[in-house]
Amino acid sequence: MVQLVGPLRKELADSLSTCKVLVVGAGGIGCELLKNLVLTGFKNIEVIDLDTIDVSNLNRQFLFQKKHVGKSKAQVAKESALQFCPTANITAYHDSIMNPDYNVEFFRQFVLVMNALDNRAARNHVNRMCLAADIPLIESGTAGYLGQVTVIKKGMTECYECQPKPTQKTFPGCTIRNTPSEPIHCIVWAKYLFNQLFGEEDADQEVSPDTADPEAAWNPEDATARATASEKDGDVKRVSTKEWARSTGYDPVKLFNKLFKDDIMYLLTMDKLWKKRKAPTPLDWLQLENTACPQDEAPGSGLKDQQVLSVWGLCQMFQHSVETLRSQLQEKGEGAELVWDKDDPPAMDFVTSAANLRMHIFSMNMKSRFDVKSMAGNIIPAIATTNAVIAGLIVLEGLKILSGEIESCRTIFLNKCPNLRKKLLVPCILDPPSANCYVCVSKPEVTVKLNVHKTMVLSLQDRILKERFGMVAPDVQIEDGKGTILISSEEGETDANNNKFLSDFGIRNGSRLQVDDFLQDYTLLVNVLHTEELERDVEFEVVGEAPDKAPPPQTNQEEVNSITNGNKDSAQPSTSSKGQQKRRTYCYKRLKTKTFSRVGILIWTEPGVYSMSYCNQGACL
Amino acid sequence: MIDMIEKEDPIISEEEAAQYDRQIRLWGLDAQKRLRGSRVLLAGLGGLGAEVAKNLILAGVKGLTLLDHEQVSEESCRAQFLVPVTAQGQNRAQASLERAQNLNPMVEVHADSTRVEDKPDDFFLQFDAVCLTGCSRDLMVRVDQLCSQRNIKVFCGDVYGYYGYMFSNLGKEHNYVEEKPKLVKPTENSNDGPEAKKAKVDPNETTMVKKTASFCALKEALEVDWTTEKAKAAMKRTPVDYFLLHVLLKFRTDKGRDPDPQSFAEDSQLLKQIRDDVLEALAVSSDLLSDDFTSYCFSEMSPVCAVVGGVLGQEVVKALSQRDPPHRNFFFFDGRKGNGVVDYFGPN
Repeated sequence: MVQLVGPLRKELADSLSTCKVLVVGAGGIGCELLKNLVLTGFKNIEVIDLDTIDVSNLNRQFLFQKKHVGKSKAQVAKESALQFCPTANITAYHDSIMNPDYNVEFFRQFVLVMNALDNRAARNHVNRMCLAADIPLIESGTAGYLGQVTVIKKGMTECYECQPKPTQKTFPGCTIRNTPSEPIHCIVWAKYLFNQLFGEEDADQEVSPDTADPEAAWNPEDATARATASEKDGDVKRVSTKEWARSTGYDPVKLFNKLFKDDIMYLLTMDKLWKKRKAPTPLDWLQLENTACPQDEAPGSGLKDQQVLSVWGLCQMFQHSVETLRSQLQEKGEGAELVWDKDDPPAMDFVTSAANLRMHIFSMNMKSRFDVKSMAGNIIPAIATTNAVIAGLIVLEGLKILSGEIESCRTIFLNKCPNLRKKLLVPCILDPPSANCYVCVSKPEVTVKLNVHKTMVLSLQDRILKERFGMVAPDVQIEDGKGTILISSEEGETDANNNKFLSDFGIRNGSRLQVDDFLQDYTLLVNVLHTEELERDVEFEVVGEAPDKAPPPQTNQEEVNSITNGNKDSAQPSTSSKGQQKRRTYCYKRLKTKTFSRVGILIWTEPGVYSMSYCNQGACL
Repeated sequence: MIDMIEKEDPIISEEEAAQYDRQIRLWGLDAQKRLRGSRVLLAGLGGLGAEVAKNLILAGVKGLTLLDHEQVSEESCRAQFLVPVTAQGQNRAQASLERAQNLNPMVEVHADSTRVEDKPDDFFLQFDAVCLTGCSRDLMVRVDQLCSQRNIKVFCGDVYGYYGYMFSNLGKEHNYVEEKPKLVKPTENSNDGPEAKKAKVDPNETTMVKKTASFCALKEALEVDWTTEKAKAAMKRTPVDYFLLHVLLKFRTDKGRDPDPQSFAEDSQLLKQIRDDVLEALAVSSDLLSDDFTSYCFSEMSPVCAVVGGVLGQEVVKALSQRDPPHRNFFFFDGRKGNGVVDYFGPN
């Protein structure tokens, strides 16, 4: 005879009170999830989140109140959830899940792990940890009105990395520096500029005109002549942007005239660029000041941030923000660097004004601070109800797993509108692991195309192994018969190798590298394919993957547009993000017949505009 | 009422802008203002009611009245998260008030401990939307009729174990807007860049299209005639949840309560009996609902309340903000299968 404890059968209710589960993330999904777990009867819960509470979280992360702003999410979430069931046993960690303390042993304590994350790096990492520990993982994500839940079980289902997820597209340097054609190019430029002036300078974030632009197609002799000419002007090519700015005392007007007049005039001399494009028009501070109209700033009934300012208004915003940021730098002292933060008003003002002034120069419609913040800050609109639905589904899948019914688990998509079969929630059967997966097959292997003479060991570590292949602490051995250690995860051990090139170690076409991440219990064999022919701005390519790996649409030829957002791989908002691209693609399920059926949702393109696409940021899967 | 938005303060304060930022970026400022001018009545503070209350308060409605005559039992503390574990014996609405208010101090939250049945007709008129949970069929039908006459949006919803539903009646003529990408002709001077890609659709530009949807009364929705040829043909694509709902509503009417885990044996027996009676009365096949369902419709499952409460909450937000197509007119959720369907029942 069936026995019930509340709504649940007794055996299930009993196992809930003894088992231990892990919730990774205490934000939008995390808060709802904790509440559901506690109310459903889970008694032993651990929750981890590295973040603190912000006022913009309060519209949905209901375990937090205004008085908690600034405090640890995991900690406050625990305290609030305990109120629902004071006898529950909840442990909170204000920490990153990628901390080596959370090793395979740690994961093995749990019968179930549930992700409530917003970035790909952490998802990749938890995926590997759960594979290593052989613990079922429930993965989920939301963005706007859309969301999805899926279950990952080693050997039985696809892992999170079985399907290639499109990586962020980067804009070519010359688009950012010379020929922007869309507002997003100007916003990326402005963020680079912030770093060059106030933050950590990065060779990949140049803002000055790119004299090596192939489109400018100068003759080699001309190029030298121009290079010399520019050196005479004290161009940034000789002096770093920051040094130059310092030499002027961060004078806003001097900065303005250099960036928005002199540099633009320089671009104009590269006449080939403007044969088919509208040429930029340089700005002059004094001229703008003299022609400014007071009526230009008419207040509307909307949010103050949603107004588009006049050019002179932007000049003033530029001036004020530079002055404020300059003081911030001075306060911090010698060698200080600022980190761009969308919630820091002068930093946001700086990017808003610089980006808009550039848009104006290049004849684009300017954007409000509200819109710039969305794009620059990679903001994903979010509401409570979507998270509530997804968190409910997570627990239901969890209960199936705990009842020993993992075969009845599904991937479930939440749509904005019902599909043709009237379904708002669409369950789909889980796919088996992919035979080509470079993570979950028994002997993972990849082939990487790069130039062994131009790729530094540090690049291999950071760009390829960490960023692209999701490792946290890679150890690399060359399969050269001697077991030469190229990279050691031990701090400092192989620092001497960092700036050497791969070829310096005898690595050449056909070389094999054994890469281990001991924390993730993951070994990857990397085959090196040497090439001298990579596209401009491309450092390496993974063989077997097209640059933009999304399956082709089955039917229509609708234009594709969507924004891929910055990489939230680090705790800081990414300023080294390679840029953003507008592209709209559909979310597909691959059918057995190898055709594609559009299943649904996603993700988000930009404020107020929806379409379906993979979320390149990894925020919602 | 919603149309009085113009008389309200059009300015959104800085506090609101900061707190509602992420949702304003989704549904826009106009929608947020309409929400801010709306008053909602929520009857029933069980598991589902608490979820709906949370969702509406976080969304930023002007006022929410929590109406519940029941007392807090030991089970209610476990079932919902607004009632403190120490509140046994208190009125459920009153006990939920403090935590509900703390979710968002900018919303006026009230608690009312009277029975819904005892409220005079004009009580309901002060609200823009009414949401009924845990109410009997007759009560829901009565309130639905009186509210929709006065252009008050009506919502009903319940959770029974792993199953849940939501119903809405937004009136004969519900007006709303839908945001669609603006179609820009290639030759037009697209000012988003000197060489903006030759997009036929400029993704930056959207336009609001006005639309209307029509809804029927709950009475009509529940009294569909299944003996017609048309209905029989539609049976194949009809979610069985609709019939399950009839069974559960009848149980509630007959017993004055929902199936209780404490009397599992008798109640599941009774459920099967009611199923037989109901299906026969509706002249539909008796094997539409297998015996299986009886062990899965007891008590309110928290995750199911979260799902149904999320969908229901969002429908209320849509209706009040008059933005985006509403679901018409039922949403059924089966927590065992993970199925969530929207379907229309009523005269065509």
